[in-house]
Amino acid sequence: MAYQYNGHTIEHDEEGYLTDISLWSPELALEIAKGENIEMTEERWEVVNFLRSYYDEYQVAPAIRVLTKALAKSMGPAKGNNDYLYELFPYGPAKQACKIAGLPKPTGCV
Amino acid sequence: MAEVRDFIVTKEAADPLELPKLACGAMAASKPFVAKAEHQAPLGFPGELVPNWQEKAIAKLGDLLTKYRSLQVYLDACVKCGACTDKCHYFLGTGDPKNMPVARQDLLRKVYRRYFTVAGKYFPWLVGAEDLTEEVLKEWYSYFHQCSQCRRCSVYCPYGIDTAEISMAAREIMDTVGMGQKYSNEIIGKVFKVGNNLGLPAKAIRSTLDGLEEEIKEETGLDVRLPLDVKGAEVMLVTPSADLFAEPHIQGLMGYAKVFHQAGVSWTLSTYASEAANFAMFIGSYENMREIALRIRRAALDLGVKRLVFGECGHAWRVAYSFLNTLAGPFDFLDSRYPVPQHICEFTYDLMRAGRITFDKSMNDQYRVTFHDSCNVSRASRMGSEPGGQFEIPRAILRAACNHYFDMAPDTIREHTLCCGGGGGLLTDDLIDLRTKGAQPRMRALQQVAADHGVTHMAAICAICKAQFTKVLPAYGFKMSSVLSVHQLVSNAIVLDGSIQARALAEQATGASADREAQ
Amino acid sequence: MGVLSALFAGLFAVATVVLVGGLAYKIRLYAMAPAPLKIPTTPAPTTRGGVALRLAREVLIFESLFRANKWIWAFGLVFHAALLMVLVRHLRYFTEPVWAWVVLAQPFGVYAGFAMVAGLLGLWARRILVPRIRYISALSDHLMLALILAIAASGLMMRFVARTDIVALKAFFLGLMRLELRPIPADPILLVHLGLVAVLMIVFPFSKLLHAPGVFFSPTRNQVDNPREHRHLAPWAARLEAQGARK
Repeated sequence: MAYQYNGHTIEHDEEGYLTDISLWSPELALEIAKGENIEMTEERWEVVNFLRSYYDEYQVAPAIRVLTKALAKSMGPAKGNNDYLYELFPYGPAKQACKIAGLPKPTGCV
Repeated sequence: MAEVRDFIVTKEAADPLELPKLACGAMAASKPFVAKAEHQAPLGFPGELVPNWQEKAIAKLGDLLTKYRSLQVYLDACVKCGACTDKCHYFLGTGDPKNMPVARQDLLRKVYRRYFTVAGKYFPWLVGAEDLTEEVLKEWYSYFHQCSQCRRCSVYCPYGIDTAEISMAAREIMDTVGMGQKYSNEIIGKVFKVGNNLGLPAKAIRSTLDGLEEEIKEETGLDVRLPLDVKGAEVMLVTPSADLFAEPHIQGLMGYAKVFHQAGVSWTLSTYASEAANFAMFIGSYENMREIALRIRRAALDLGVKRLVFGECGHAWRVAYSFLNTLAGPFDFLDSRYPVPQHICEFTYDLMRAGRITFDKSMNDQYRVTFHDSCNVSRASRMGSEPGGQFEIPRAILRAACNHYFDMAPDTIREHTLCCGGGGGLLTDDLIDLRTKGAQPRMRALQQVAADHGVTHMAAICAICKAQFTKVLPAYGFKMSSVLSVHQLVSNAIVLDGSIQARALAEQATGASADREAQ
Repeated sequence: MGVLSALFAGLFAVATVVLVGGLAYKIRLYAMAPAPLKIPTTPAPTTRGGVALRLAREVLIFESLFRANKWIWAFGLVFHAALLMVLVRHLRYFTEPVWAWVVLAQPFGVYAGFAMVAGLLGLWARRILVPRIRYISALSDHLMLALILAIAASGLMMRFVARTDIVALKAFFLGLMRLELRPIPADPILLVHLGLVAVLMIVFPFSKLLHAPGVFFSPTRNQVDNPREHRHLAPWAARLEAQGARK
């Protein structure tokens, strides 16, 4: 199980999450997004980038509320809410967006 | 009535308990991902199916028979009367006869009979005894991961046979031979390593809590604290880590904080015990369940707290209420004037009864609310001093905090409650088909109460229920946001002393009395 | 005649030993196996007295079954209550003088025989006609019904069709209880009846009839709901505790 692009082979688990998260790159994100039928618009990149910078600092994905508040700050209150996040990532911001951002899947009662 | 209609009402709501046609093998292909070596090792289980798995599995079954009276009695006592056959939500939702509780038990019972009973050893064809073959092991893996251990069947069984006990034993046997379930075992490993299911480190928890404090300050004008690792606090709150991460869980956490604030009780969360959930129960592993429970004891000792309070989490409350004293007791170092542990609903309810909480119910007028009884709370624990308090206390809180409360049909609530479809370690994407089908009876009951009473939202006191409903509600014509935390409704309506809301209410009251005097 | 009497005397001796010994073994097994965790199905009684009442309701009126399914409950209760009456009636063949309350129950015992058959036929009909129950039935489930039904039918035949020498039979059993061999009436229906009863006694400890002792040992029914007040610790769990934590 691996993503193939531009001659790279990057391994992933049975659900498409990277086995080695350090191998992420923006090109790989496009590749993962393609598999999810997600077009990487500017808004989606904003979410992915926020997830990555949050992960860099806290070693975990942010709570949904933290994410929506950050988006409200940068994109305005109309887009800083749960419904808009699910518009961007229908399978859930935590799970689908994390996958594209190359982060581990959040586990537990979520 | 409020404008918000967060759902589509079907014209003629179907009977939640309607019997399906038998669909043999309909769910035979359903199975969760198998745990990898790295998920198995921290729990003390072999990383892959061991070569002598058959022999080892039978030996483990023999071992469990001497350790668990429930298993020994339940494997013997079933008379195949059929009372349980229409009680499992997974059977009602899938029609697969192997999801009838007795048929699920028989998957283990036929092996028990073959190796441990005279009848099965000499006349296997007579009593339906079978060898433990690879086929049987596959069947176990599939169908024992189609049981959410909700215990609904045990309510109706004339001998109290509890399929949860059987599926826990079967999962422990499978773990022992190296065939664990990835979802549960990976999560248990995270608790050992980081302290919670989500793997949230202290820094992330603190940052999230800071954000919530800011939010509450904006809303109420008060410095309501959400403390972490504070030594000497009166209360240690143990809550599912989903309360620090997911929606609507996190609104519930804000509700707990407001209640503690209003009570004037100092409290704290613990990083080391930042998880109420105990997934080791789902896999029937006493040892691992104890390891997780001991973290709570150590944290309580370390922080020097006097009381333990648990947040909204169904199976966690079972482990806390029914098992914690056994696994990690005695808790003689805590304040003996309070039960150990207490549920946050008990805490809030006591405060309500002492007249120390004022609710502005109109704050919840946009909701017409019903309550989903979580299985583990309903059938495996209690709240308060009277049997059945687990049903009355959350309802009393909801009625106090909301103007519009309606129960679902009587045969779908309280001890008859229907599982959300995601309990027992099945809340994983690889089982989404099973989860969606298993939710059907509950969803139909919700559709019914929506049609009859215009109910728009369903409140729950379980992290798994909340996450599961968020996922499956859309499949039944509801918005994912129609599930709420009970303490979210408390949070909305509670009027904290000295808050913006309290001042507004006081002004209203003096205005009203001035009007009366003027007349 | 002597051979037949000896054969049945031997059969009943063996059946009694297997029944009593087998049940004692199983009950000991149930009693010895610890229940490490508190698992009463709640809402549950908070006192021992409450638990006794709960068990009494389960055993006497099949409370849980009533909530589950009215048909199974009705047929099951009719069968079990009738069986109890029939057993009481049969005490007269094993006691001398016959106890007064057994004499009083005598007329009801006869009708109970019919009720027992009706209950059994109802249960069997469900086992065959309801697809869910047919699916979970093994051959042994059908045979068990057949066995008890045959015992009931042969018993009723002796009352209403071809009476047997009941005085001689009573002498046979009273003798057997004092370990003396008396002649048994060589009546085919009687011998079938007794033979099947002996089979039932022998099968009892190896079959689902273990539900009878089992219900009293069921932790979901017999535990007191008081885990916060009283620490519950199984011996093997206590040993685990003595070893200390793993990590």
